[in-house]
Amino acid sequence: MTRKKIILSVNGVRNEIEVEAKETLLETLRNRLDLTGAKLGCDQQVCGSCTVLMNDLPVSSCSVLAMDADGCEILTVEGLGAGGALHPIQQAFIEHGAFQCAYCTPGLILAVKYLLSRFPRPTEPQLRHYLAGNICRCGCHVEILQAVRSLARRAQENQL
Amino acid sequence: MQDNVGQSIKRLESESKVSGELKYLSDLKLPGMLHCKALRSPYAHARIVRIDSQRAAKFSGVEGVLTRDDMVDNPHFDSHYGPVLKDQTVVALDKVRYVGDLVAAVAATRLDIAEEALDLIEVEYEELGAVFSFEEALAENAPLLHEQVSKPEHGFVDLADVNPVEGTNICTTFHLSKGDLEKGFQNSDFVFENVFTCPSAQHAALETLCAVARLERNGGLTIWSTVQNPFVIRDQIAELFHLPVSKVRVIALNIGGGYGSKLYPKLEPLVAALAWKTRKPVGLTLTREEVFQTITKHAAEIHLKTGVTREGRLLARQCRIYLDTGAYAEIGPRVAKKSGYTAAGPYNIPNIQIDSCLVYTNKVPAGAFRGFGVSQSAWAHESEMDLIARALQMDPLELRQKNLLEEGGEFATGEHVHSFGLRQCVERVASALQWGEKCPPPPQKHLARGKGMACLIKATITPSISSALVRLNEDGSATVYVGTADVGQGSDTIMAQIVSQELAIPVTHVQVVHSDTDLCLYDLTTSSSRSTFHMGRAVQLAAQDIRRQLACLAGRLWNCPVEEVLFANQGVRCVVNDVVHAASYRNLLSASFGIKGANLVGKGTVKTEAVQRNGEPLTSAFWFAGAGAAEVEVDRETGSVRVVRYASAADVGKAINPFFCEQQLKGGAITGIGLALMEQLVYQDGLLINPNFLDYNLARFLDIPEEIIPILVERAHEEGPYGAKGVGETALIPVAPAIANAIEDAVGVRVTDLPITPEKVLRALQEKEQKAQLLEGPTPGRS
Amino acid sequence: MGLNRFEYIEASSIPEASRFLADRPEEARIYAGGTSLLLLMKQRIARPAYLVNIKKIPGLRYIDKNDGTVRIGALTTHHDLEFSPLIRRWLPVISELEPEVANIRVRSTGTIGGNLGFAEPLTDLPPVLIAMDARIKVADESLERLLPLEHLFRGYYETSLRPQELITEIQVDLPAPFFGIKYLRFSMGSDKPLVGCAVGIRIDPESKLCVDARCVLGCVGPTPLRVREAEEALKGLPYRVNSSAKAARIAATACSPLTDLRATEEYKRAIVEVLMRRAVEEAFRRASSKLQG
Repeated sequence: MTRKKIILSVNGVRNEIEVEAKETLLETLRNRLDLTGAKLGCDQQVCGSCTVLMNDLPVSSCSVLAMDADGCEILTVEGLGAGGALHPIQQAFIEHGAFQCAYCTPGLILAVKYLLSRFPRPTEPQLRHYLAGNICRCGCHVEILQAVRSLARRAQENQL
Repeated sequence: MQDNVGQSIKRLESESKVSGELKYLSDLKLPGMLHCKALRSPYAHARIVRIDSQRAAKFSGVEGVLTRDDMVDNPHFDSHYGPVLKDQTVVALDKVRYVGDLVAAVAATRLDIAEEALDLIEVEYEELGAVFSFEEALAENAPLLHEQVSKPEHGFVDLADVNPVEGTNICTTFHLSKGDLEKGFQNSDFVFENVFTCPSAQHAALETLCAVARLERNGGLTIWSTVQNPFVIRDQIAELFHLPVSKVRVIALNIGGGYGSKLYPKLEPLVAALAWKTRKPVGLTLTREEVFQTITKHAAEIHLKTGVTREGRLLARQCRIYLDTGAYAEIGPRVAKKSGYTAAGPYNIPNIQIDSCLVYTNKVPAGAFRGFGVSQSAWAHESEMDLIARALQMDPLELRQKNLLEEGGEFATGEHVHSFGLRQCVERVASALQWGEKCPPPPQKHLARGKGMACLIKATITPSISSALVRLNEDGSATVYVGTADVGQGSDTIMAQIVSQELAIPVTHVQVVHSDTDLCLYDLTTSSSRSTFHMGRAVQLAAQDIRRQLACLAGRLWNCPVEEVLFANQGVRCVVNDVVHAASYRNLLSASFGIKGANLVGKGTVKTEAVQRNGEPLTSAFWFAGAGAAEVEVDRETGSVRVVRYASAADVGKAINPFFCEQQLKGGAITGIGLALMEQLVYQDGLLINPNFLDYNLARFLDIPEEIIPILVERAHEEGPYGAKGVGETALIPVAPAIANAIEDAVGVRVTDLPITPEKVLRALQEKEQKAQLLEGPTPGRS
Repeated sequence: MGLNRFEYIEASSIPEASRFLADRPEEARIYAGGTSLLLLMKQRIARPAYLVNIKKIPGLRYIDKNDGTVRIGALTTHHDLEFSPLIRRWLPVISELEPEVANIRVRSTGTIGGNLGFAEPLTDLPPVLIAMDARIKVADESLERLLPLEHLFRGYYETSLRPQELITEIQVDLPAPFFGIKYLRFSMGSDKPLVGCAVGIRIDPESKLCVDARCVLGCVGPTPLRVREAEEALKGLPYRVNSSAKAARIAATACSPLTDLRATEEYKRAIVEVLMRRAVEEAFRRASSKLQG
């Protein structure tokens, strides 16, 4: 089977990794780089537990071939925040208690990061449409929406 | 102090949860761990004629293959296990009983090697007749799933009377009666008879099931598992492997959602057997599809017959419940009992008869699911209440108010309920949705809005036991040891809040050690919404035990009466002859023991009984009361239903952390909406055809209401910590009937089988229109 | 489940990819985003021995407009379409539907060429594109040809392309003046549509009568279905409830949905009828609104 050395920049760190053709990006992150924040949930791109940002766009890392990610910039939940401090999205999730079991949380936080980068002041339909691909089985949707709205408000206030 | 009981403090592990650092079991790797993969049955019911695993065993990278050959006459471990009935085997022995049943398993150095090796196991099956429905399973001369079933020697006390009916597929039955049913019907002005059905569903915890086993040098077993009741696993493994429980250690880390799916042995016997065989650690993480093939929610068919007076008094109710437990009993017998108790609803009905029947079929085993059978029974009794109200032309709220079980009222079981704030729950959800005011009509003509409500009563496992340890460390901080598993509900934080309250220390100074059978005292289970009530109280007692010890030390030190010692600000205080003595715990301990390093250990145990002091039975240590109300919008042309607003109320006794309680109410409502409108496992000839999230749909951000209103009712329970009861399951239970009732309010049609798909609503609308046309004749001007 | 073993090839040009596919028609599959293919591979429904990644081929990801035609490179992602100002300006119906396609992660990686070439029946774009008379450009090692998109689809996951042919471009002519189009999808708790329905209406600015119509259904048969009889039922008429209901009934009869675990055939037909009626009304409204604009 094809093996190939790929270059993956993950959370700003450049990695040279030899991967197999059938290896998914999620497997590379979890098994080779010990970045276990992204989780396997459905393995079908439905639940979003494995969401990471690839060149700033959210992808299901369970369904991206590692080789296809060669040369890409990957951001995982571990790469958020700086110098040990939490990212404002992470802080907002805590503030609004936007999780229970939190298995979906790393993926959701990245989905929110993308959402706010695209729509700093999202409308309600945008909130729901752009987060619809992330399942939270504990049912923390209300708190998650509150967290995102608070971030949008803050962004607006900072702009004014 | 701000950290105490009644405060909505954040989860203690919040930072590690948002940073992605919190480790779930599948995030960890043991050195030298083998990866396991299971071979599963392609047949619903078949005899295994032959298994040959030699080729697989020789496959490079394979370290062990487990088949029935390892089970036969093995002096080291038994083949059979099961929490209530020993009808499960580590791998299939003589036959397989559902598509997905475990046939064999491979442990290999890599997961893909284990996967490939499965293809090398040769199995020859002889297909047997299978049963998939209640009718087929209960038919005379139906093929039997289990010819003979034995019971564990030391089973659950509350299920001691569970017995399969020999020669049938009836796993167990449950019967309850009160008053004179026939007389009740005779005295009724109207008798209603309806059948309600619920499909099988799946818990869909985002973290799949995972277990790791390691054989220790001393012959013991250490098992890490995604499990909500580690002590039950410990006991089952100890029995299976003939080990004292001290040699079996079961550890549950933080769990990525359970909802009942992570109770009772699932993968642990298999990985333990493979660890024993290979002498290496063995780990197994199920795929999503395999989770669907491992555990489900019971499908149910519920026949209700209700007698009422013209004025709307319920006089008699008969409930016949059929529950499909799939191929193995698992905890089905308790589900049958729990749904049985409450099948007549939270009403004051003088004459009741309840019969539930738990049936084996050749389908995926069904077990605990948030609400333990009560969501099924509530679907029936709460739908029926609205059908009755409609027939009597009475407001459904009024009908409920007339019949509600009140504080001190006599329940179906003959016992009197206490700490039961059902009326407040019902009335507050009604007012939250402006009950009685018509919904404003939506702008589009094809849309219609309506409101509906439902309420519930549920029991918690009784009798049961929980014990806790609290250690006061030499610096005055505390460590708490609880068997309770934190599945996301926030139990760690609740326990810390209780210790913080009792010992007057900041919650950040409390460390909670959880769900490790070597470190913690016995706890029956994290389920049945029981942990705050039982373990919370045990932790409170353990902390109070420490207070007593501290008071003794202070009394001795200052020569003061122990009852006058006060606790505040991480220390003790006492006024003796107008002299104020005060010391931090740290100083008190070192002063009393003369050395740094002295700890105090407090222990607390809560044990509930099956009989009350007054001789009445106690089927539940406390009763849950709750209610939900929904406002829905129905598209008459497509049958689509959208929940616009939802109010969810529960009597929690006392909200130790109000935010967590509200979160349970909101989360339960959302899960409930998914179950009400879309979730359903679909089988074709015994094959589950939607075992994945593409085909089994869950509520998403697009499906949740615009507003969810959580309402906490606090009617304190004298035995709960600070009056607290449980809340985990309450909110989910009334959702489906509340929605069905709201749909009927909106468009005048009734759906009696879940889920309420758009198709069912549309069909009902079409039938209604056809009937109306038949009655009225052709309407002029209509094409 | 993990993926089966396969060989991974990165093609650097269309001829190179085409040559590889020609040599191994049975064993090789194109990887152009992989959103659908990897799914089938995980379920062991597809077991290709070779994956030919064409995403690294330069020059296939663009959205241009010239000579009255919008040209979309095959490797353009759903996400590109969703946020393209050019699409928003000239083909707004696509910008409108894209946020509803699958989910944001699928849209980030899924390409339009992959979407069309995979011929998965439960998908949104094809009916809309067919309603706009879209063409596709396909190429093999040496030749290029254009064909109407409608002619691409043959059956469930089956296209009319030869094994060595690849889609390289999608072309959509700018809508005529007084043309209105609406796409409606119906889904139930899922990322995938249960029924999709695209209606395009061109009216005569003087008489306000429909002079041309497109009625295309998705998800209710092996391929997207253009219902010409429904189109005829609309032509020559102004917007009328009756005529749109008639077209809708025709469409509901003409399609061939299957009963599956999501809904029965009967229900899908009922939904076709409702969507078609609503889409016709909105398409007319949009066509007429251009009278003022």
